[in-house]
Amino acid sequence: MAGIRIENVTKSYGSLSVLKDFSLEVADGEFVVFVGPSGCGKSTMLKILAGLEEASSGTIRIGGRDVTDLAPGDRDIAMVFQNYALYPHLTVRNNMGFGLKMRGMDAAQIEMRVMNAAKILGVDHLLDRRPKALSGGQRQRVALGRAIVREPQAFLMDEPLSNLDAKLRVHTRAEISALHKRLGVTTIYVTHDQIEAMTMADRIVIMKDGVIQQIANPDTMFRKPANLFVAGFIGSPGMNFLRSPVTTMGGAAAVRLFGHDVRLEAPASLAGREIVVGLRPEHIGAGPGPVTFEITPRLVESLGSEKYIYVDVPEENRAQIDPADRQEEERRADTIIARLINPDERSAGERITLSFDPAHLHLFDAKSEVAIQ
Amino acid sequence: MRSRPVDRFFLYAAVVIVCAFLVFPIYWLLITAISPPDQLRALPPRFWPETPRWDVFGQIMRERPILLWLTNSTLAAVGSVVLSMTVSVLAGYSLSRFKVRGGQSLGLFILTAKMLPATLLVIPLFGIFRTVDLIGSLWSIILAHATLIIPFTTWMMKGYFDTIPRELEQAAMVDGCSPFGALVRVILPVSAPGLAATALYGFVLSWSDYAYARTFLTNAQTNWTANLGITTMKGEYISNWGDISAASILVALPILLIYLFLERYLVGGLTAGAEK
Repeated sequence: MAGIRIENVTKSYGSLSVLKDFSLEVADGEFVVFVGPSGCGKSTMLKILAGLEEASSGTIRIGGRDVTDLAPGDRDIAMVFQNYALYPHLTVRNNMGFGLKMRGMDAAQIEMRVMNAAKILGVDHLLDRRPKALSGGQRQRVALGRAIVREPQAFLMDEPLSNLDAKLRVHTRAEISALHKRLGVTTIYVTHDQIEAMTMADRIVIMKDGVIQQIANPDTMFRKPANLFVAGFIGSPGMNFLRSPVTTMGGAAAVRLFGHDVRLEAPASLAGREIVVGLRPEHIGAGPGPVTFEITPRLVESLGSEKYIYVDVPEENRAQIDPADRQEEERRADTIIARLINPDERSAGERITLSFDPAHLHLFDAKSEVAIQ
Repeated sequence: MRSRPVDRFFLYAAVVIVCAFLVFPIYWLLITAISPPDQLRALPPRFWPETPRWDVFGQIMRERPILLWLTNSTLAAVGSVVLSMTVSVLAGYSLSRFKVRGGQSLGLFILTAKMLPATLLVIPLFGIFRTVDLIGSLWSIILAHATLIIPFTTWMMKGYFDTIPRELEQAAMVDGCSPFGALVRVILPVSAPGLAATALYGFVLSWSDYAYARTFLTNAQTNWTANLGITTMKGEYISNWGDISAASILVALPILLIYLFLERYLVGGLTAGAEK
């Protein structure tokens, strides 16, 4: 086991720059998740770590050893691929033992390690089968087994759950977390699913266009997003955004939302700036509160224990945001969602009272999109 | 959806007609081989001889060096296939996996070379082989066949490698293989159906050659291939079509046996299970 240090790594394909000055220090035994939309450079960074892609510049150290120019097999890492990449011509036993055989380990020891790993993952009854005779979930476990028998310094996982169905994904997610706790091996995990990132990570690295947007633990990422992109990406449904110029009210900054002047917990010096106010769907409640407004929902979606209330944003509050996820941004521009837990019967077109607490508002500069602390 | 009986009738009728077209020449070859000479041109034609002469096969093997010809054909085909496959596996893998400057143009150039008729190369190759003293040697046709086979097999192998997920060799490299080790230990075993089909294609191409053997080997009787040998059975005035047909059947048998042997590889499906 070892820590990983990534220093100023860049990657360009001709004039196209896919990683811009990526630096990160991962502690020994830490579980770090790279998350971001497609094309943000997270998988490229993982492949550079594995040695499957060459960095244009920068250095990588695993356990204090500079591995930047080493072949993948010499880095003492194991990787789990999105499509499992099991060797179809080998049995499960030989798939799992392949890396050990390559390292010249004797057969008895390979067998012992394979059996141990297979027992941990519950695939010990499948050892003589070929991958084509396994279900998706079993293949996933074998791919994990192939990684753990090696007892490497670090695990690299490239969206290992994305080929599983929703139910199995939740189950395997918990299993990987448990496995990490049990083995304590430094793990870097790539996903585009923010729920996986939030539930599994010790720390999340959120990326966009090859640039790290924020590095933080899941709670901080949720409570104190560094910018509009992070705020919109983390959380489901995503944060609501409302645009407003800042005025003053009673010696503090204020904005006008849903026709109400709302006093912010921010200094009056913000006055005159154009800001985007972020409000999480779960921070909007039913009934009166510190800031109360009456609206007619455009749509009410029921999930049984909770309801999503879709509300039109007043014209003056509509925010135009650089689309990271176009569909989501289009929704966000003119609609906000309130997430009500165990609400009464509601239906679209029926007028309801909603409220929020200004203490829960997130403030972002409309131009730079950076959070105003 | 269940098909209607009338649809099935037409389907089976079409299958029978196509099979008849394909099988009839082979059937006629057999009839010609085992019919006594006086029944060959009988009118109306006989569809099965009254007294089949099954001993014709033993007889021509005693009279002609068929086994020597078959051995030469086998050596030429195996030699050219081994040479072609060695080159085309590496070339096809490189074209499939490595993005090199000019790689696409090189691929297209190879594709263009495929389009040249084989006979176009006979004279330049003859000149080259005469210079290096290979005329009359089996090496001449091994090399000549390889020049024909390599462009085809390179593209066939490239196409096959394209279907194999890159993650397989990436996984092998993370497991400790060198890029060449990943090719040998993982990609080639997985490519068995593609290799079998491609090698068989090259084998048939070499086995069925006549023009090159006729040009390069005519004066070296001990190196005659089967096709070249059979044509010498045709006399200037009299041709014994029964014997020629019997020899042709003997020459076709090895290909048939190889097809049967490789069938399980040719059906493919070995990559199933590599990924979701």
